[in-house]
This record gives sequence, structure tokens and C-alpha cells, in this order.
Amino acid sequence: MTTPTVAEAWVAAPLTRLMEDARLISGVLLYPTGRAVGQFGFSNAADVMSICALTSAINASSRELGRQLDGKPFYELHHAGAERQVFMARATAGGQEFLFVGVFDGESSLGVVEIYFGEFQKSLEKLRPEKQVATPVPAGDFEGELNRSLDALFGPIGKP
Amino acid sequence: MKAVSRIVASLSHVPGVIAAMVVGASDGLIIETSAMLSGVEAGDTRKHTAALAAYLYSRITRASDAARLGTPAFMRLEAEHGHICVVGARDVVLVTIVTPNANLGRVRLDMMTAARED
Repeated sequence: MTTPTVAEAWVAAPLTRLMEDARLISGVLLYPTGRAVGQFGFSNAADVMSICALTSAINASSRELGRQLDGKPFYELHHAGAERQVFMARATAGGQEFLFVGVFDGESSLGVVEIYFGEFQKSLEKLRPEKQVATPVPAGDFEGELNRSLDALFGPIGKP
Repeated sequence: MKAVSRIVASLSHVPGVIAAMVVGASDGLIIETSAMLSGVEAGDTRKHTAALAAYLYSRITRASDAARLGTPAFMRLEAEHGHICVVGARDVVLVTIVTPNANLGRVRLDMMTAARED
């Protein structure tokens, strides 16, 4: 089993526990802006980059879809493939929103993933540092923010 | 199998049954559940029990297959304060949470009968 790599150290323990307890194959924790906070199961920055961009976009569109259909945003999304399944959900800690996307197979189940994601949410709320070290980022700099977070997870590309 | 609500209603009236549930075998999500006959936080307890019991039953099925014993007929987990009983029925599993002094023979029989009936 892999070990999560994180851009913010405080998420390492809850992410590891979620990965192990829910028997997830891979997963990414990110801000809704697309900035990755931690990941496991990936060895390639380009894969994480794609997942962050897609998750961020899916969150924005499913949230809007929820508003249109139900008057409030959807909180969770599940897609069952033939062999693997994708679970996507929101978590909040200290007013800050996070997105999580995880992949699992027949070694786990949606019910099990939901249980441990609930515990993960509680851990995030409990462990989140009071004061975040805010890095000044120009508003709307999606690509720059994504690249900076990937550098934190995998190291600068082309500079081993 | 009988309508899930009737199965749940019938199992929940067996003496000693604290809660009865019909749960998706592959996803572990509750399809139908009875009220919890105790003061604990019912929602989380049932949801967690359902997901983990279905998961455990799928592992037990694999173990049983590996031992060439075929499909497990009945699973009972004995704990300090009671039992969890699980019976597979095609795409669902029947799960009951039972008190320590319940008539387990009756619980087993009723669960297996419910799983067999169309």
C-alpha cells in the first residue's frame, strides 16, 4: 500500500487512515480551486493535475446542477464502473472547503467508503491548524495554483 | 424474496431483535430498516453496522469459497453486548442486531426463511 504525499502536513494522518480503512486504491484531497493538498496512489504529477482539474470542474457543475434541481448543491457523487468505482465528496474544516476524490474496487464498498469518509471529515475538523499559512496567490490563477501544489507533492518538474 | 418492508417488519418483531435491515450486498447501503429499539444514535449505528456487516459477509463468502465450502448460509458475530446476524439473499443481505439473551435459533430460522421466500 502506498503512503500519501501531502502539501500540508496536517492532512497526512487522516488521509493515511482513510486510505487504509476504506481500502482505497487512489485518492486526491484538494481545494475547490483545484489546488492539491494531498494524494495517494499516483506517481505521476500529470495524472494528479488532470484529476484536480476534472474534480474541480465536476464539483462546480454538480453543485450548480444540485442547485437547479434541488435548490441546494449536491454533496456527494458516486460512479460505479465495471471494476472500479469513483467516490467524490466535500469536506469542511474550520470554514474551509475541501474536495476529495477516491477510487476503490471490490475490496471495498460504497457504504464502507462513506463511513470512513465521515470519520475523515471529523478528523480534518479536529486537526486543522487554527492559522493557515496563507500564500499570496493572484485571484483566478488556476493553472499557477495547480502547478504550485503539484510541485509541493512531487517536486518541481524537470528538477529532480 | 418478499417485499423488503415486510421482511424488515417481520424480523424486527422477533424477540431480542434490536434492529433489522435489508442491505445492498455489493454497496453496503441500507435498503430498508426498522427503528432501533434502544437509546443509541440510531442513524449512524445502523448505517455503520449495515455497511460493515455487508462487507464482512462478502469477505466470509470469499473465505468460504476458498475453503471450498460454497456460499455461507448464516453468519453470526458474537460480541460483548449482543450479536450481529447476516444472511445473504441474492443481491441483498439481511442484517439483524440482536440482544445477548435472544432466541438465536428463532432469529436464524426467521432470517433464513425470509431470505428463501419469493
